[in-house]
Amino acid sequence: MTTKPNLNVTFCGVKFENPFLLSSSPVGNHAEMCARAFDAGWGGIVYKTLGLEESFKVVMPSPRLNAYNYGTKRFIGLQNAEQITDRNIKDNIADITALKKNYPKKVLVSSIMGYKEQDWETLAKMSEDAGADMLELNFSCPQMATKEGGYRVGQNFDAVERYTAATKRATKLPVMAKMTPNITDMLPVALAAKKGGADAIAAINTIRAITDIDIDAFVSLPNIHGNSGITGFSGAAAKPIGLRFVSELYNSKDLNLPISAIGGVETWRDALHYILVGGTTIQVTTAIMKYGYRIVEDMLEGLQDYMIAKNVKSLDELKGLVAKKLVDPSEFNTRYQVVSVIDENKCIGCGQCYIACQDGANQAIIFDSKKRKASVNEARCVGCTLCKHVCPVAGCITTKEVDTKTTKHAAIIE
Amino acid sequence: MRKKIDPNNIEQFKAMQESLSLQDAMQEADRCLLCHDAPCSQACPAGTDPGKFIRQIKFENYKGAARTIRNNNPLGAICSLVCPTEKLCEKNCSIKALEEPINIRGLQCFACTYGKENGLEPLPKPVITKSKVAIVGAGPAGISCAAELAKMGYAVTIFEKETAICGVAKWGIPSYRLSEELIAQDVQNLLDLGVNIKYNSPVEINEININKLIEEYRAVFIGVGLTVPSELPFLKGYANVINSTVFLRTARTERNKLKIKDKIVAVIGGGSVAMDAATTAAALGAKKVYAISLESLAELPADSEEIDIAHTMHIIFKPSSQITEVFANGNLITEIKGKEIEWIKPNDFTPNNVRQIAGTDFNLNVDVIIQAIGSQPSSELKQFTKLQKVVGKNIINVDNRYATNIPGVFAGGDIVNGGATLVKAVGEGKAAAQSINNYLTNLAK
Repeated sequence: MTTKPNLNVTFCGVKFENPFLLSSSPVGNHAEMCARAFDAGWGGIVYKTLGLEESFKVVMPSPRLNAYNYGTKRFIGLQNAEQITDRNIKDNIADITALKKNYPKKVLVSSIMGYKEQDWETLAKMSEDAGADMLELNFSCPQMATKEGGYRVGQNFDAVERYTAATKRATKLPVMAKMTPNITDMLPVALAAKKGGADAIAAINTIRAITDIDIDAFVSLPNIHGNSGITGFSGAAAKPIGLRFVSELYNSKDLNLPISAIGGVETWRDALHYILVGGTTIQVTTAIMKYGYRIVEDMLEGLQDYMIAKNVKSLDELKGLVAKKLVDPSEFNTRYQVVSVIDENKCIGCGQCYIACQDGANQAIIFDSKKRKASVNEARCVGCTLCKHVCPVAGCITTKEVDTKTTKHAAIIE
Repeated sequence: MRKKIDPNNIEQFKAMQESLSLQDAMQEADRCLLCHDAPCSQACPAGTDPGKFIRQIKFENYKGAARTIRNNNPLGAICSLVCPTEKLCEKNCSIKALEEPINIRGLQCFACTYGKENGLEPLPKPVITKSKVAIVGAGPAGISCAAELAKMGYAVTIFEKETAICGVAKWGIPSYRLSEELIAQDVQNLLDLGVNIKYNSPVEINEININKLIEEYRAVFIGVGLTVPSELPFLKGYANVINSTVFLRTARTERNKLKIKDKIVAVIGGGSVAMDAATTAAALGAKKVYAISLESLAELPADSEEIDIAHTMHIIFKPSSQITEVFANGNLITEIKGKEIEWIKPNDFTPNNVRQIAGTDFNLNVDVIIQAIGSQPSSELKQFTKLQKVVGKNIINVDNRYATNIPGVFAGGDIVNGGATLVKAVGEGKAAAQSINNYLTNLAK
């Protein structure tokens, strides 16, 4: 029998039995929830962000969630107007203390958010005293946007550096800075965090968005007593954006910090994608809100089976493999050109490829109405592969390389 | 996504197939491949264009879908419940190569219901700019022809012998398969088009009547259907033998009069009407219902949903079987005797083509026999010698424009095709309307 691959990771010197963590959110709201998450198999949790009541009194709006549905697909993303914890700091600290006592081998990351340097110091100390293994600095809550707090901090290089430095002064714990994606380039902010002493970067927080609009009441959703807001969007639909930011951070030689990757992870494959673009640990919330803590079982088993299939002994072997192949579009090898190939035996004659190519590409598909079969006019095909993506039959449309010297491309290249 | 058959609904004669919910309809439309050549649309005899209305549903243009159906098929709502789509549009569905065909009938019903429930504007009343046309018979073919002509600006009058229109849909289909509400929806569209309907106005198809109509109207469309139920000669004269037309009509209008409870019923026939009669008998509390057909189970001409309903209602099938003898007590048949059969030649499912199989004899005690073996033209039409008819069948012979040999007289539906689907009759009525328009336009030149 094959032994199961080891999913241990070390992140900022902290050992995790597996890379899967709850991200800071309602899924890690208090000790009882976190305990159940640990029991379900999660390697760690990032506790719901702590704040100091004297700096900011949290009162949650209601309703505060709206699912993003597309067609018949429900909940492919989630918009929230949630804030940091609204529980008493003493209760939260007591919960963290109890959790570390009961689950000493699990990792507990305390997420904190302050409004002035002293807040960050206080919260860091309290967390360390309670037994937290790490700190996550919440520079990115889209719902708490005062000048000195929330996601605006994450857009402010100076504040990020100062708050990180303040935290580091107060604690010996490793510190990761959580980035907002609501910015053109995340790297300067991450570098500011590094300058302030951050040991790792967590990315991404939610994306400011509008998910739906009530076209009768003329208000976007969630409708909070006649108003709504541009608030944080997360879930599967956000993953492509998360992958982009994580890979950019990973590929920066200047940054060179480990990354806790976040954004739309539901399955082991999603998690693997983040590892391949440079994530070391993986944080999850939206999928848990939708399906519960149990999904970690499938993440663990699926990732292990993949490692067995690929003969990979440690997740470190996979880290960043794909990020390394990301180049600037100007560097693509345009000597390599393909055309589409339609397998006539698999073609069911729906003509979706024909319509797509006619109206959305280069009019390179021929539809034989009598035989109800599509075929490619190679002389016109530019190899965009739109046809392949609209085809409903798996493996029906493939591509083949064409000789760029003897085809139409010869005139364009060289 | 198909609706489940609920025997409770059938027993209470409550409309069984409700429309798909919005969510189910969206899910179903989402599966559609939106084919370039829409083979579903090509297969619809009435040109309803499911390819278009499914696309409209998928892109949340629900009222547009309702308009497409209403514009293309004057009996679109009725068809959405009784059309044998599995043999037409759904049979051609491309996705069958991968999975179950799209539930086109369900989507059609959804669109019609959505339109009704969400204030779809009534059809605009056309301005009459053209000549008068008479339609004899307000069945599917006549209604379809009338609606199309009215839209073109003709002054259309329908002569209907009954107190209500829609013919077979109104009288011959059990209410659990087709509710009054849905029938009313299509009827309202016809009324909105300003078609003049003369109820209780039978017009026998004979020389005098046709001449009279042609004098007053520029063209006549005959859509009288097949009105006389066929009967097996050896069943004639018995008091406990009923034909399916009378049986189903009574079930629809005065079902308390049918004394079927705790009776043993034998239905003869394997088509949709036979299935409707059998399930209706079961719903009325029959002790046992046999469905005796020459066709094997696989060959039954009834559509699969009707066969499914029959199975749900525990109908006992006696396929590939022929009645050879009956025994009576006075004028009541008490027992039937039969044999299993096989076909002599392939693909000819007629009584002349059967060979009885020795050693397969069966005897059944019966209380009631329902004949559902098709219908024939009226005797007056048969005798109308000036109108050319198909030899042996006595149905009206038309050319490919649905024109008879009498100038200005057109015909369509069962009286021309010998008995086919409702949707085919709609298609023929539509096509005949085009021909009538061409004819009258040329006449005016």
